[in-house]
Amino acid sequence: MIGIEHYVVVSSILFVLGVLGIFLNRKNVIVILMAIELILLSVNLNLVAFSAFLGDLVGQVFAMFVLTVAAGEAAIGLAILVIYFRGRGTIAVDDIHRMRG
Amino acid sequence: MTDFSQSLALIAAEELLTVVGLVLLLCAAWMGDKASRMISIVAVAALVACAFIAAPALCGGLMGPERVAFMGQYTADAFAAFAKLLIYASGIASLIVAPRFFGQVGAMRAEYPILILFAVLGMNMMVSATDFLTLYIGLELNSLAAYVLASFLRNDERSAEAGLKYFVLGALASGIILFGMSLTYGFTGSTNFTAVALAMDGTLATGALFGLIFVLAGLAFKISAVPFHMWTPDVYEGAPTPVTTFFATAPKVAALALTMRVALGAFGTQVDAWQQIVIFVSLASIVVGALGAIGQSNIKRLLAYSSINNVGFLLIGLAAATQEGASAMLVYLAIYVAMSVAGFVVVLMLRDAEGRPVEVIADMAGLSRTRPALAWALAAVMFSLAGIPPLFGFWGKFVVFQAAVNADLIALAAIGIAASVIGAFYYLKVVKIVFFDEPANVVAESGESGVDALAHKVMLLIACLFISPLGYLLTPWLGELADKAAAALYFVG
Amino acid sequence: MIHIIAFYLFAVLLIASAVLVIMSRNPVHSVLWLILAFFNAAGLMVLVGAEFIAMLLVIVYVGAVAVLFLFVVMMLDIDFAELRAGFVKNFPLGILLAVVLLAELVLGFGAYRAGTLKLGEADGTAATIAGRSNIESIGALLYGEYLFLFEAAGLVLLVAMIGAIVLTHRERTDTRGQNVSKQNKRRAEDATVNVKPEVGKGVTL
Repeated sequence: MIGIEHYVVVSSILFVLGVLGIFLNRKNVIVILMAIELILLSVNLNLVAFSAFLGDLVGQVFAMFVLTVAAGEAAIGLAILVIYFRGRGTIAVDDIHRMRG
Repeated sequence: MTDFSQSLALIAAEELLTVVGLVLLLCAAWMGDKASRMISIVAVAALVACAFIAAPALCGGLMGPERVAFMGQYTADAFAAFAKLLIYASGIASLIVAPRFFGQVGAMRAEYPILILFAVLGMNMMVSATDFLTLYIGLELNSLAAYVLASFLRNDERSAEAGLKYFVLGALASGIILFGMSLTYGFTGSTNFTAVALAMDGTLATGALFGLIFVLAGLAFKISAVPFHMWTPDVYEGAPTPVTTFFATAPKVAALALTMRVALGAFGTQVDAWQQIVIFVSLASIVVGALGAIGQSNIKRLLAYSSINNVGFLLIGLAAATQEGASAMLVYLAIYVAMSVAGFVVVLMLRDAEGRPVEVIADMAGLSRTRPALAWALAAVMFSLAGIPPLFGFWGKFVVFQAAVNADLIALAAIGIAASVIGAFYYLKVVKIVFFDEPANVVAESGESGVDALAHKVMLLIACLFISPLGYLLTPWLGELADKAAAALYFVG
Repeated sequence: MIHIIAFYLFAVLLIASAVLVIMSRNPVHSVLWLILAFFNAAGLMVLVGAEFIAMLLVIVYVGAVAVLFLFVVMMLDIDFAELRAGFVKNFPLGILLAVVLLAELVLGFGAYRAGTLKLGEADGTAATIAGRSNIESIGALLYGEYLFLFEAAGLVLLVAMIGAIVLTHRERTDTRGQNVSKQNKRRAEDATVNVKPEVGKGVTL
C-alpha cells in the first residue's frame, strides 16, 4: 500500500507547478487560468487522499465543493478574458502602462 | 447543538437575501435595465431589513451553542452581527451611489444591485463561518460577484483590466487558502474551527504549521496586506468608483472578521506560531501604505494605499491576540468604514463641467474656493485617515495602540505611532493642494440637483458627522457593542 | 504490487503533463495536456477508493471546463508568439521561486525521513457507512449535514452564470433573429391572393 506521504508529495509538486505556471506565463492569461486549475487539482488530490487515509468523507465532500466553485471560477475568468480581448485585441497583460503597479 | 428548524431560523438574514436576490433577478430578466432603479430600491430595503435581523443578536450580546447552526458550520453570534451591520451599511452606500455614476455613461444595469446582494450574502457566510467549508463557499460567493463587479464597465478597458488582475490574483489567493485548508484538514482530522483548535493544542505538527501559514497568507491577499498588496491600487483605480467604494469597505470588513475568527478561533491555540508573522505584516503594511501613497497623482490610488496603511493598523489589534485587541479592531473597523465611504462619496461628487469624474489630485487644486463644503469634507476625511486628534479616526488608532501596549507589544505600538506621523504627510499634502494651491478650475462650480445628488449629500453628511469630533459622543456605545462582539468571539462553550 | 505500479504510473504522468501545461508553446496543446493531467489525477483518486469524485473530475473538468478553455482559445484570435516573450525573462526567477517553495514543502513534511506522516484523527461521524458504497455515503453527507453549503454552492454557480452573461452578452442589432410566434400566426390566406386578371391587363399587387 502506498503511504499518504506519497500523495502529499505529488500534490505539493502539482501546487508548486501551478504557482510556477502563473509566474512564468505572466503575459498569457489563458495559461494562467489553466495554472489555477492545476492548483485546484492539487488541492482536490490532497483532500481526497487525506479523506481516504483519515476514513472521513468530509474531505471528499469538500473536494466536490472545490470542483463546483472551480467550474464557476473558470467561467467568470474566461468571460473577463473575452471582454478584455474585445477591448484590446490581445490578451497580453504585460504591455499595460496605462496603469502602474 | 440545534436541530434543523432552529438552524433555519438562525440564517433568516441569508434566506431573505437569497429570496430577494432571486426575485429581483427575475424582475431584471423581464423588465430589463429600465427597472434598475426599482431593483436598487428593493435591494436597499432588503439590506435594511437584514440589519434589523442582525441588530438584536449584537445588542443582546448573543453567543454560545444555541446560536450555532448546521452542526457547527455556522454561527449567528454577536461578533458576526457586528461585522454584518458594517457590511450592510457598506452595501447600502455602494447601491445608493451607483445610479448616478453608471447613468453618466449609460451603463446602469439591473444586475448591479443583484450582484451586490449576492456578494453581501457571501460575506454574511464568511463572517459567520465556523467551519472551513462554510468559509470557502462564502469567500468564493463573494469573490465571484466581486470579479464581475470590478469589470462591470465592460466597454472600458481600465475596468476590464482591473477585473482581470483582480481575478487572477484573487483566484491564486483562493488556491493558496485552499491548499492550506487541505493540509489543516489532513493534519488535524477536521474542518471545524473548534475541533481544529483542539487538535492543534500542544506541539504543532509541521504539516499543520504549513496549513496555518498558507491559510493566513491567502487571507493576507484578501485583506490586501503587505506583501500581498500589489493588486490593490490597480484594482481600486480601474474599477468603477461605486464598486471601489464597495471593495474598500464591505469585503475588507468581511475578510478581516474572517481572519480574526480563523486566527483567534481555529488557530487560537497556536498564537505563538502566527503572532510574529502578523506583527511583521502589520508593520510592513503601515510603512508600504504610507510610502507608496506619496507619489500618487490619482485620488483613487491614494485611497488604495491609505486602505493598505489602515489594514496595517488594524492588524496591530490582531497581533495583540487578546479580547481587548479584538474589540479595538472592531471599533477601528467601524470608523474605517465611515472614513472610506465619506472619502469615496467626495470622489464621486467631484465632476467636471461635462459631468465626467475628476480623479487627478492636481485637478482639485483650490477646491476650497469653488466648492467649500466639499473641500471641508475632503479635509475631514484626510485628517481622520491620518489620525489627527480632534477627528474620530484618532480614536480607532488610539484603542488599537492601547490594546497592543496592554499585551506587552510596546515596541510595535511605538513604531506604529511613529509611522502614523510619517503617514500623515501625504494626507496633509492633499489638504494643502485643495486649500492653498491656485485653483485649477476643473471641477464644476455648482453641484448637480436631483434625488441622487441629494442622496450623496445626505450620505456624506452622515459619514462626516460620524468621523467629526461629534463621533466621540458615540465612543461608550460603540465600545460596549465591540466588547460584546469580542466576547462572543472568545466564547468557549 | 500492481497498486504501487499504478500509483507511480499515474503520478509520473500527472506531473509530466502538468509541466507540459505550463511549458507548451501553444495553448491548445496546454489544454490537451491539462485533460491528460485530470485523467491521471482521477486515476490516483480511484486508487484510494474515491471513485465518485474521480468520475466527477473527469465529467466536470474534461467534459465542461477543458472544453470551455478550448472554445475560448479557438474563439479568440490570439498571437501566441507575442505572449511567449516574457517567458525566458521570467524563467530563472520562476524556477528559483519554485525550488524554494518545493524544498520548503518537502523538507517541512520530512516525508521521506520520517517514513510516515502523522495525520490527525477524525471523529468518525463522517466515515463511510458500513456496507454502503462511496457514492451513497457521500450523498447521505451532502444532502444531510452539508445541505446548507450545498444550497450555497448552487448560488455560487448562479452568480457565475449571471456574471458570465452580464459581461459577455451583447444585443446584436446587425443580425435578424427568428420570431417563432409571428411565424406560427401567419396563415396561408394572409400571404397569398387569388386573382383572375383579364387578358391584356396587368396585375396590381
